[in-house]
Amino acid sequence: MTYLDRFANGKGRYLDDIKLDNMLYMSLVRSPYARAKIKSVEGGMTSRDLKAYYAVVEGDHREPVLAIDEVNYQGQAVAAVFGKNRYEAEDLLSTVNVDYEPLEAIHSIDDAKKKAPIYADRKDNILSTEDVGVKFNESDIDYDIKVTDTILLDRVSANPMETRGIVADYRDGILNVYLPSQSIVRSKSGIVKSLGLPPEKVRVFLIDNGGAFGVKALFYPEYIIACYASMKYGKPVKWQETRTEHLQACHAGRGVEGTLTLYAKKDGTVTGLDGEVLLDNGPYLVDAAAVDLGNVIHEVTGPYHIEKAHLTGKYVLTNKAPNGYYRGAGKPEASILMERMMDLLADKLNMDIADIRLKNALETPFKSPLGLEMRYPTKPFLEDALKYFNYRELSKKEHVGISLFILDEDTAPGESARIIVKDGKVHTYLGGNVSGQGHEMFVKSILSDELDIEQDSISLELQDTETLSTGVGTWGSKSAMTHGSVLMQAAEELKKQIEEKYGKYSPEILLSHDFDQTSFYKFDYNDNQVNFNIVTSRINEMGDFEELKIGAYYDLGKVLNMANVLGQTEGGALQAIGEVLSETLRYSEEGQLMTTSITDSGVLTADHTPEFDIKIVENPSVMKDRAKGLGESPMIGIPEGLARSLETQIHKRINTMPITREFLFDSL
Amino acid sequence: MMVTVKINGKEYSKDVEPRTLLATFIRDDIGLTGTHIGCDTTNCGACTVLMDGRAVKSCTVLAAQADGHELETIENEADKELSMVKESFIEENGLQCGFCTPGMIMTSLYMLRKNKNPSEDYIKNSLAGNLCRCTGYVSIINSIKNANEKINGKKAVVK
Repeated sequence: MTYLDRFANGKGRYLDDIKLDNMLYMSLVRSPYARAKIKSVEGGMTSRDLKAYYAVVEGDHREPVLAIDEVNYQGQAVAAVFGKNRYEAEDLLSTVNVDYEPLEAIHSIDDAKKKAPIYADRKDNILSTEDVGVKFNESDIDYDIKVTDTILLDRVSANPMETRGIVADYRDGILNVYLPSQSIVRSKSGIVKSLGLPPEKVRVFLIDNGGAFGVKALFYPEYIIACYASMKYGKPVKWQETRTEHLQACHAGRGVEGTLTLYAKKDGTVTGLDGEVLLDNGPYLVDAAAVDLGNVIHEVTGPYHIEKAHLTGKYVLTNKAPNGYYRGAGKPEASILMERMMDLLADKLNMDIADIRLKNALETPFKSPLGLEMRYPTKPFLEDALKYFNYRELSKKEHVGISLFILDEDTAPGESARIIVKDGKVHTYLGGNVSGQGHEMFVKSILSDELDIEQDSISLELQDTETLSTGVGTWGSKSAMTHGSVLMQAAEELKKQIEEKYGKYSPEILLSHDFDQTSFYKFDYNDNQVNFNIVTSRINEMGDFEELKIGAYYDLGKVLNMANVLGQTEGGALQAIGEVLSETLRYSEEGQLMTTSITDSGVLTADHTPEFDIKIVENPSVMKDRAKGLGESPMIGIPEGLARSLETQIHKRINTMPITREFLFDSL
Repeated sequence: MMVTVKINGKEYSKDVEPRTLLATFIRDDIGLTGTHIGCDTTNCGACTVLMDGRAVKSCTVLAAQADGHELETIENEADKELSMVKESFIEENGLQCGFCTPGMIMTSLYMLRKNKNPSEDYIKNSLAGNLCRCTGYVSIINSIKNANEKINGKKAVVK
């Protein structure tokens, strides 16, 4: 039975489907204030019982899993209660009394600049600062014009249809954990570190994952509390996040404000880039922030040859849930900032938006002063893409936005896999985890080809940290690249095993004996690739779309499964459109979340589905399976294309995402 | 209080608290976990089931309100038309993570029984109460068009 059969018949096994004897349900008492002193807490499990931190990174201002003396965002966990079912657990919330003294809160990056520091050990609301590139003087570079703008990409909630959750089951001295995770290996190391447990006493099981988009790669207070409670009470403990909790307390993505200056010659050649990028960090030091902001500031120059570049990144303290990953994790921000600046420069120079990109695109590989090593030329690719979409003609008739971007895949350090052959069946386990992308399809086709066996005899299983103790994870658009490659390597090593023992390989020998092969495909660096999006749209006088067409010209190296490719592209496209039009988390001046439902948070419905023209090109990658990445590409390329297409209709610069309905309406 | 419902042709009687939601009843009391819960505000539609043939969001119906009524969930194997919708979702890859899928399929079944000749716009608008975060809905819309051919014998849906 394939995953398609299982899921279409309601036979998935998701977190909330797990039912164990004597299981307790956990509910959290969460702060109603964005910032407050806790004068007293009575009842429930509190930091008096469990004083622990979940961030793997060391440093000041880590978040305790249960608040100690203060809260710094609405929804922060203060106490935990446990009932025999979810209704009883929620009833028990009223048995906890917390006395708060509310304090002035910071609700935005802008607010953080104006208000007094929230921490006594800081002179401002900056947690830390990071510089990349080489600072230069304007007098040192050759330029005729400079353009500056501030672009805000507001916070977005990942909103997988299945929220976060965990089942912790401590029995016979072992902490068994069931988790929809993008990396159970990473989750295990987080649990081990936070609770100071020996690694051999913790076993994490992967289960069906109802969507991830970054947030299931992260580690959270609730996970640690549930594990601790299971050990304390000697019973299984389940926590399944409500959607309201997800919006309030799950770590949120984007929240990036960049102020960039481009220096350019009259012919459009960009000679320098300088600026500052601010991350809406939330109040605590979390692991994701350095990746999110790091990706932005290292990748801004993207597909362009810019000799002189410097950026300062700042982690800005706000009284909102901490920063987390969201599909792309800094890569979309880098591209949106750069492409919006390219459009601005084109407008100032009265140049065509394609011509300014052609002028600056790479003719050879290039190491950016910001650190990104672009491995492939981007100019020939751009020329091909413009030709494919007949850009010159199209741009005369339609409102067109384009984007040229790189996708830097997180291929390092590689990935693991295990193949167990037993009773004529080939069972496969992947070191990175399935989080709803349909890996099963390429697993079957690759192994079927490599081992010369029927797809029906191959299965992709959900592993745990005992069946496969090594592994990296699924993220950064590299899952098909590293998993495909490690499977090919494992198949080769398996065949070698058989040749050594039986003198030759044959599918019959394979399926009539037992074999066990664990392999690690090592890949030392992050590969990258070039992609292109084109967006055309037409809005009416109410700001509604009469037409919306997404063109994608993506290089996938080698397509492993076309249905998955289309699914990732179409799904990513709708998220990207949502990010421009509607998706965000809105806070009041007091730091109260005003977004109260998944609909409020702007997740788009089926009537927003655009038309597509998806052209896949295949320039093989250096990976063993020749594949290139995809998952993050629509998020990286589409928002700025749509922004440009709209901008040409409303005749007003778009430098904030999401735009509001009022903004569109007032501009028409 | 005692609640008696017929689910997928089989009768169940359970003693539940009056406040029990139908979604909880189906999942926790009966143990049919194919019906999912994705939000707390009746927006996402993952919990959609048919009650007396009509699509309802089971998170917004009390188990008590379903007393004496007939329900159909994703697990039903006896409904040929439901099987056709499921086949279409499989053929068209109309799912990724699978979490919204049971609700999508039950809504689709209701939609195709109500409208024997739906336009593409009708399909899109009828999905307004069901959210999917993975697919961008394209493959879901294709699945429904495919299911329409199977159930209603109509060729390609026109826009």
